[in-house]
Amino acid sequence: MNYKPDEKDWMAYLYGELEGQEKEKIDRYLLEDAEARAEFEKFRRLRKMMSTVEDQEVIAPPIFIGDTRQRMLWSSPYFKTIVSIAASLLLIILVGRITGTRISVSNHEFRLSFGEEQAQPIRESAPPTQALTASEVQQMINASLNENNLAQQASWKETQAKLDVSIRRNLNASSARIDQLVRQAATASQDQIRQYVSTIQTENAQMVKDYFQLTSGEQKKYIEDLLVDFAQYMQQQHTNDLQVVQTQLNSLQQNTNIFKQETEQILTSIITTVGAPQESKEIKN
Amino acid sequence: MPSLYHETVKLSRKRAEGLKMAAMHAETLLDIAMMHSETLIVRARQGDQGAQGKLVQLWYKRIYNFGYKFFLDHDLAMEVSQKTFISMCRNLAGLQDIARFKSWLYKIAVNNCREEARKNKNSRSLSFDQVWNREAEESPAWEGSGQRLDNPERQLEQVELSDILQEALLELNEEQREVVIMKEYEGLKFREIAEVLNISENTVKSRMYYGLDGLRKILEKKNINKDTIGYEL
Repeated sequence: MNYKPDEKDWMAYLYGELEGQEKEKIDRYLLEDAEARAEFEKFRRLRKMMSTVEDQEVIAPPIFIGDTRQRMLWSSPYFKTIVSIAASLLLIILVGRITGTRISVSNHEFRLSFGEEQAQPIRESAPPTQALTASEVQQMINASLNENNLAQQASWKETQAKLDVSIRRNLNASSARIDQLVRQAATASQDQIRQYVSTIQTENAQMVKDYFQLTSGEQKKYIEDLLVDFAQYMQQQHTNDLQVVQTQLNSLQQNTNIFKQETEQILTSIITTVGAPQESKEIKN
Repeated sequence: MPSLYHETVKLSRKRAEGLKMAAMHAETLLDIAMMHSETLIVRARQGDQGAQGKLVQLWYKRIYNFGYKFFLDHDLAMEVSQKTFISMCRNLAGLQDIARFKSWLYKIAVNNCREEARKNKNSRSLSFDQVWNREAEESPAWEGSGQRLDNPERQLEQVELSDILQEALLELNEEQREVVIMKEYEGLKFREIAEVLNISENTVKSRMYYGLDGLRKILEKKNINKDTIGYEL
């Protein structure tokens, strides 16, 4: 018998997925070949061993599915991005249109302008002049400088003369006025001093008078207060002395009374002591 | 006392069996609902959010478990599941053939898993050699166990075996891992897996063969075999 099942046949046979002639062939092969039978038995035993693994118990958690399938085109992120870019561009174009923004790059120049473009006045080119040599130009400059110098010197001299006249006139006028002012000031000061001194004297006299009046009044009041206080003091002292004398008199009287009582007691005790032996003698007798 | 112990063991076994039956029954109902969800898919494709929600409820556990076995990580599995169902709801209108809904959904899940794996390639560099308990690897807990009965101890052994298998799955390369998970745990046919991965059916079978072979070698390396697990599978 040349038949020998391969690994695929073994697996199909082991899991009962072989039918008909193929199954019979392997049945026969197993009956005839003890080694193959032992090998197959190992697989069968392994399967039995594997069947000891039991399923884990699990509770299906709730599964929430977002309705993503029905997401519209406009809710997709790409669409949103593209639309936002387009909206931004449109906004820029609108703003540009309203403000009349113009941007131009020409002749190495970047120009950003708003509003209508104004036509720039074209400068007329200067009429062509005759060519001058350097020496002629130098002579012209020198002549111009000379003229200028002369004119300036003349004007300086004229100005100098005017200034001299003006200064002299001012000096004369101001010295006369200053002398007059000094004289006025000297006369005015003598009168003012006299008036000032008399005022001060009057004020001083008044002040001294007031001072003395005030001082004499205060002194009078002070003396009066002092006398009153002294009288009160003397009265109080007198009262105190009287109280002391009265107290001492009272004390003396009390002492006298006490002495009197003691004397009486002593006399009584003497009398009783003197009388007692006589009575006992009488009893004995 | 021994009779009481046996009664307790019997009760616990019965309860376990009952739970297992209930789970199987529930899975069957779920499978039936998944198989007959054409109307739901049509309505969901037309944008009915209620139908979309029901589809999510129906398929969430499957996609989560696919992601979990792919990454062995709850957070990543949740992430992949969320992304897969969000993508499903958004793109369901583009699904031409309703009969291919399952493979179409797994295609989304696989793509999300690959994307997450690519993103987490650098951030999750912790290998299993670092987290594997070498001592436990060399001498599994059940190896020295004398009592090999169908009892809570055996259940614990199965849980540990399950962990080891899932970690072994993670050692496979991505191509083999996704095929093994889809075939062994998600119950897709080879044809459907080929559709999901956009490859030939033979390539799928080949990846499955080498995937299982790789798993077997990994388990042998970890000293997991019929003798060490202590009972006939």
